[in-house]
Amino acid sequence: MSARGRGADDGLRFLSREACDALVRRIRGFVQGGGETSVGVNSWWSGELRWARNRVTLASDRRDLDITVARALLGSYGHVTLNQMDDVSLAAAVRAAERDSRTQFPVLENIEALPPTFTYPTTAIWSDATYQLTVEERERVALALVEPAEAAGMLAAGYLQLGATGVAQTGVDGSLFYARQTAAQCSMTVRDPQGTGSGWAGLSSYDWTRIDPKALAKRALDKCLASRNPVTLEPGRYTVILEPQAVHDLLSVIMANLDRDYAERQGGPFAAGADNALQLGLTKLGLKIVDERVTISHDPTDPALGVVPFFVGSGGGIEPVRPATWIDHGVLKALSQERNTYAVPRLTENQGQPNTGSYRMSGGPTSVDEMIQTTKRGLLVTRFWNVTLVDAGSLLATGLTRDGLWLIENGKISKAVKNFRFTESPLFVLNSIEQMGEPVPVFNPGAPVIVPPLKARDFSFTSLVDAV
Amino acid sequence: MPFTRRDLLKLGAKATAAAALASLPRPLMAQLTGEGRWEPAPPIDDPRLKDLALRALEAARTAGASYADVRLTHDWGRDLQAGVHDSERLTVGVRALVGGYWGFASGPVWSSDEMVRLGREAYHQAKTNGLGKPRSVDLAPVPAVSDGHWLMPVKLDPFEIHPFELTDYLTSLAIFAKETPDIAAQLDCSFFKQEKAFASTVGSYCTQRTYLTAGRFDVTLDRNHKRVGGSVGNLSPAGMGWELIRDQPLREAFRRTVAELEEILKLPVKPLDVGRYDTLLDANPVAMLMDRTLGYATELDRALGFEANAGGTSFLNDPAAMLGSYRAGAPLFSVTANRSEPGGCATVKWDDEGVAPDDFALVKDGVLTDFQTTRESAGWLKDWYAQHGRPFRSHGCAAADRGINAPLQRIPNLVMSSGRETAGFEELGSGLANGMAFKGVQIEMDFQNLNGLALGNAYEVKRGKRVALIPGVGILFRAPELWKTLTAVGGAASVQRFGTATVKGEPAVRTTHSVSAPPAVFNQLTLIDPLRKA
Repeated sequence: MSARGRGADDGLRFLSREACDALVRRIRGFVQGGGETSVGVNSWWSGELRWARNRVTLASDRRDLDITVARALLGSYGHVTLNQMDDVSLAAAVRAAERDSRTQFPVLENIEALPPTFTYPTTAIWSDATYQLTVEERERVALALVEPAEAAGMLAAGYLQLGATGVAQTGVDGSLFYARQTAAQCSMTVRDPQGTGSGWAGLSSYDWTRIDPKALAKRALDKCLASRNPVTLEPGRYTVILEPQAVHDLLSVIMANLDRDYAERQGGPFAAGADNALQLGLTKLGLKIVDERVTISHDPTDPALGVVPFFVGSGGGIEPVRPATWIDHGVLKALSQERNTYAVPRLTENQGQPNTGSYRMSGGPTSVDEMIQTTKRGLLVTRFWNVTLVDAGSLLATGLTRDGLWLIENGKISKAVKNFRFTESPLFVLNSIEQMGEPVPVFNPGAPVIVPPLKARDFSFTSLVDAV
Repeated sequence: MPFTRRDLLKLGAKATAAAALASLPRPLMAQLTGEGRWEPAPPIDDPRLKDLALRALEAARTAGASYADVRLTHDWGRDLQAGVHDSERLTVGVRALVGGYWGFASGPVWSSDEMVRLGREAYHQAKTNGLGKPRSVDLAPVPAVSDGHWLMPVKLDPFEIHPFELTDYLTSLAIFAKETPDIAAQLDCSFFKQEKAFASTVGSYCTQRTYLTAGRFDVTLDRNHKRVGGSVGNLSPAGMGWELIRDQPLREAFRRTVAELEEILKLPVKPLDVGRYDTLLDANPVAMLMDRTLGYATELDRALGFEANAGGTSFLNDPAAMLGSYRAGAPLFSVTANRSEPGGCATVKWDDEGVAPDDFALVKDGVLTDFQTTRESAGWLKDWYAQHGRPFRSHGCAAADRGINAPLQRIPNLVMSSGRETAGFEELGSGLANGMAFKGVQIEMDFQNLNGLALGNAYEVKRGKRVALIPGVGILFRAPELWKTLTAVGGAASVQRFGTATVKGEPAVRTTHSVSAPPAVFNQLTLIDPLRKA
């Protein structure tokens, strides 16, 4: 790679380890006046395809990079970001980071120490099949996705994205942490031309071969056809059968709140009062919080849950991604924390426990069909949309059903139902479980998630939403 | 008179050093000629950039594109939040149209070789698209812009001011705020500057420089285990420079906000008696509601299903049949759109297709009159425009955040018209015999922008006076009914402007526009307790 302004195209569509290493060495060469220097490089390629009304509307190839140069001098820290690799720009970036380190104003929280050296596991995040899918092959996939919907007189819209990223971050001793990662996602929505029905299906994985586009196309079309002309149902409490995507849409609220600092400051659902004698904020760690059938965990070496094996924190600090069991048979076992944040004094040493957003939830033996057959009256939910917290303490959230909601009567799906707004806490849902099914991967680009379908009692739908 | 760094800049000889410090040299490099020589990225009006842009167009056209356009963007970002974080980026994106299909290619390198690669790649992406299925694109005509240059007028370019001066200013404000007992303040701001060159095979070439500045000055009054919060001034995003913050009398605004918080703290707190109430909304909630209902719903691509797999569709689901007859609100409800107002976040001279945007009406006297369009989407209404004697043109709503992303139709600046009387929030409130008032809300909409829930703190109003605070109230509404219940709107002097960001498309791209509205009174809105389960 030439030193002067060349982009991310040296045969690769993003920067290799060697290219990042050379870049970092050049940047270090511009450092003057001691202190510490940290460099992060994130280079990416994205090949994508968008379609609507049964025709491709845009196909694109995009590439870019972010270089973050951080300088810690005399106990203060400054960083700048740029996307050029020439010497002149890099030298100027080092000077600017030094200047910015002198501008910290009012309340500076603790200064993040620069990264230590550590080892990290190998994770399954690279797929040649994803990286090598050509533009032509992408187009054929899109055609296969659109054709069944078009043949049925429906309108399909969707998005297919394949990408690759090279992530590099320096350690304090000059070592370089590097990982390359592919990503694939495919999702589509099928609507009837009158706008009375809508169906959706989607999946994401680092590995394109794990996504079956034809199955997604069929699922979205079937859901659209079955959701047409929905009837109005009264809001109220219903037994619900949540498809895996809906389970994840709800659980994302729990995952976003698994934060130890927040809990110790007595915020959120996992705070448990303060111990005045020790001046410690207590948490619900060790307490049973949901049904004992529920275990939520993440192992970065799980081939289906691979993530970049090191985690770059908010201040450029770096730490390995460790296996975590957040909830073990209903008991809260771990809360996430960034290494070296000492907002609250605590008894145990902070080793860091990053939350990458990737997780697996335990399941059960019941298929969705069996859940339906054993339901006298209830609702089958495809997915939730725009889930928002309304009460942080109880994790009470509100959101909408979207793209397929059906009434179940006497063990059978009886009719399509108009959408609802719900007001419910995912913790309540995980305490009201009747049955669970086999955990499967769902759509969550960037962080793999595996969750089961589940049936729960007394889910609270609070108002009618006559949008399709 | 205190000596500021701005004064220093005017001092000639010394100014060189000061200016170098201020806009610290971070020259990103560009190769402006075919000779492979790299040099600092020049100012956007450098004529050699045109050659670079034309190279991309030539490559796409030679390959076989029927139309192509190119955007080169040079961005500067500066965030002040517990210190300064600077960023600077160059990107370029080329779009090509081949047989009714669009292709796009983008990257971070400004060089003549890269222009050729991107032009060819955009063609290749588009060409591969069709697979034998016909698709027609009828681009609305646009006059060619020959060498247009435009600079958004700002008083103080934040990137020509030394960051120490910016942080000193904020630090002194923070210290000032801290002197008030029981007050906690949060203060930060961000600046963005973009230079952009655009060229298209229509024969257009134009360059622009735009700015986006935003701030936050939030205060919390915490006394006797009671806590209320508010914002100081109006620092929401604007197409302005440092003057957005420096020229507002923030110390006086701070005192007013604290005085108001003291008043609110004295109000008794009570729970909501769920039901229907005449409701007064301040300019901010009116602006945000108008944006989240009609602002989104009048995006023509959204209405026709082009965003179905992302943000959703629109309750205005049959544009040609609804235009000119659909009642979107009460007769006193009118909304116009523009990309021309000084200080507007979406204000430009030319959009991302080289169209000079026009000012147009979306809703007139309560009736839907138009949709937001690009050159392609205007074509979807071509017949309707012809039947109604309206010109076939794009309203100039194509936009992307920077060259790396392809343009989409994005919301322009929106303006809701004011009433003829001079009433403001207080006057409208004093006319309320028995109702509720809101100063701010958070809005949750469905995927057709039809049903919504607005969450905020309510003030109970009796005989024109605020008598109680009701925390955490939800307004449950349907968009068409909401605007039909409008009974009074504030006068011209009560209109305020707010900048707001939207995320649209796949990949999701964030852009910003301004929304202006007066406070308004609504007849019998449904208020609920959002924490109450079924």
